[in-house]
Amino acid sequence: MSDVDLIEATKVLRDEVLDTAEHGDRDPPGAEVFDALIRALEVGGESVPGLDLQLHDGITRRLAWGDSEEAVLADAEMVFDRLMIAIERALRDPADRMVLIEAATQVAVTVARVVSLAAVARAARDRAARLREELAQRQLKEVLERQRSSIVRLELETKGSLP
Amino acid sequence: MSPPPGVRVAGDSHVGKVRTANEDSLVVDAARGLYAVLDGMGGASAGDLASQTARDAIVDFVVQRRLTMEPRALLEAAIQAGCTAVWNCAQLSRERHGMGTTVVACLLIDATRAVIGHVGDSRAYLLRGGRLQALTRDHTIVEELVDRGLLSPEEAERHPYKNVLSRNLGAKPDTKVDLLDVELRPGDRLLLCSDGLYGYASTEAIQYLLGSGDAPNQVARDLIDLALRGGGGDNVSTLVIEAPPAAPSSTQVVRTSGAVAWWQLRQRFMHVAREGGLADNPICRGLDPEEALDLVGLSLCEAIFHDLEKSTGVNVWTFAQNLAGGWFARSGEWAPLRALMDILVRAARTVVDEIRTLEPSLGFLLDVAVSRALVVAELAIGGLLAERLREVDSDLIQLHAAVMDTIDQPSLDSDDTPKFVDSPTIPFLRPDRPVTNSGINAELVSAIEKTLTIARARTSPRAELLRQILVALETIATDTSGNFASAVLAARELYGVRSVDDAGIMPLFDALDQARIITAASVHQITATDALRAKTLGAISAAHQRLVSAMTGLVLEAVAPFSERLREVQAETVALRDRVAHAEGKRAQLERKFATTIDQSQPWEQRGTTESEW
Repeated sequence: MSDVDLIEATKVLRDEVLDTAEHGDRDPPGAEVFDALIRALEVGGESVPGLDLQLHDGITRRLAWGDSEEAVLADAEMVFDRLMIAIERALRDPADRMVLIEAATQVAVTVARVVSLAAVARAARDRAARLREELAQRQLKEVLERQRSSIVRLELETKGSLP
Repeated sequence: MSPPPGVRVAGDSHVGKVRTANEDSLVVDAARGLYAVLDGMGGASAGDLASQTARDAIVDFVVQRRLTMEPRALLEAAIQAGCTAVWNCAQLSRERHGMGTTVVACLLIDATRAVIGHVGDSRAYLLRGGRLQALTRDHTIVEELVDRGLLSPEEAERHPYKNVLSRNLGAKPDTKVDLLDVELRPGDRLLLCSDGLYGYASTEAIQYLLGSGDAPNQVARDLIDLALRGGGGDNVSTLVIEAPPAAPSSTQVVRTSGAVAWWQLRQRFMHVAREGGLADNPICRGLDPEEALDLVGLSLCEAIFHDLEKSTGVNVWTFAQNLAGGWFARSGEWAPLRALMDILVRAARTVVDEIRTLEPSLGFLLDVAVSRALVVAELAIGGLLAERLREVDSDLIQLHAAVMDTIDQPSLDSDDTPKFVDSPTIPFLRPDRPVTNSGINAELVSAIEKTLTIARARTSPRAELLRQILVALETIATDTSGNFASAVLAARELYGVRSVDDAGIMPLFDALDQARIITAASVHQITATDALRAKTLGAISAAHQRLVSAMTGLVLEAVAPFSERLREVQAETVALRDRVAHAEGKRAQLERKFATTIDQSQPWEQRGTTESEW
């Protein structure tokens, strides 16, 4: 491996990879992915897959603010693709490139895992909500039935009471 | 009944590490196709006596009745005879009371059919397509309780009486024999064994050894070693029966007999080529006739031979490219090359026809294979011609550009008619457009393949999902189309049918993570420059990323119906609420009307005091 400080060298690529100029002061899409990449490089070696809690938080926050899972995934893909191009250009030492590629792949898999987990959790919530809705529908149907019988009875009573 | 041709059988027995006497017996009677394993029981040497008595009675019965009884009835009656013999033997002495034996026997009818009969807990297994399946169910009390639904399989596994037999030969004068007809396929292996094997070896290990491809005698010995390594607490007996392998495929026939037959007739090929005037062809000008025959005729003959042997076309392709390339490089014309090819094709056809006369079926297969080789040669020459055309096209374009530079044509600039360069003759001959997608180079493809081969070798055979992912990665990484459609296809195949919850989805991502780690480690093991390694890892990682994204896309696709269904149900609830509100309004209206009616029916002074009962 070269003497280049890989983390610093990667941080330099941030603007290029995230295209920050397009997004002004706001966090550009995919920022959480790039930050996770830096953390993965800082940790070094092999971390436990999927245990980057900050990445979890970042993605969950985006989903909570209304971004779709597809959008989060597409941003991660974009970051990965741009990073691959940037690596090819910016890093001379193949060993440095390999470290960065490994970290990027790890982050890509983790993003996919977190997004899938979020989607599955959403499906579970939707399933539970549907059950609640169906329960409410059953109660509403019972109320409706009672109302119908009241209406029929009232109509009969009214007719019977007319002089 | 004679021994079926091609069937290989071997058996072995061992006393084990704990017992002092071997109470198992084997029957290996190839002449009658009778094979059996018997496991005797009973103290004071009664166990080995029981298994030997039953063995002898069964063999005698089959020898005497094999011509008069059909196989299924024959085997059943033989085992019954064995039972009666053991029972009678036990009655002769008080010490032998309670002796008995299990039996699992196989009667081979021919190479494709067999009958299995068994009593007790000796087992028969079938290995087909690398998978082991048990053909028999043990006759134990616990198994029968499971069959009746009184015990669960898990309870049975822990039951203290799980080894107590419910049936054996010798406990009664006769017994019930379970029979099974087995249809054997080429390469199938039957295993008959006593409980000394499966009690001390895992099913996976038995499957591995039986499917190892070693000869049956070696497998029988290896299985015994396996049981001994597992403790060897009982006598252990194994008997392996292997059905004959499938007839060789047409490809194998061409690769062996076809290639040899072709090579044996090479002199005939040379003779026809000589007679056809090969040495007089302009391409061979300057060469001695025999030298020309050797250089051209024999080279093609040899190239076809090697291609037949290896089922490829690479030798003929190279021959044709060298021949045509050399000729075109000398500015040779097309006609002599065509004439030379016609001579060679005629010679090849003559040889194939002669083989066909001698051996029609081999000749037919060889005809197809040699025709393919000749088509390959034509294709190679066609490719060179296309290349030559492209060069000519390029020269013409340059010439046209030079002419345009030297002639002053101001009026043409405003002319709307398309220029020569803008309307090329054939699109793929345009010099600025590659004939095919350049994609990734062969060196990189080779490195990717090597890396993933190493990765696959490092995975456990049981990690099927991981292996599938590695195969998919190779397909995606070497896909030159660049649109990663293969990633979507692979993801669909890997996703299969899954429940939409953590338990269904997470194994996929665990396997994807493992694949990432294994490939990253494997790339360091290939022999390549660092730069190539980095490129290889980049390509595999890109493939990995596409696969993971496609997989996540499928997860999102799978969860979408839940949200849609929820929206539908919510809409239904809203509609239902509306109906309830509407009905409530109507009910209130009726109530008011009813109250008014009642009120008006009252005398004047009591009006206004009526209250609705609703």
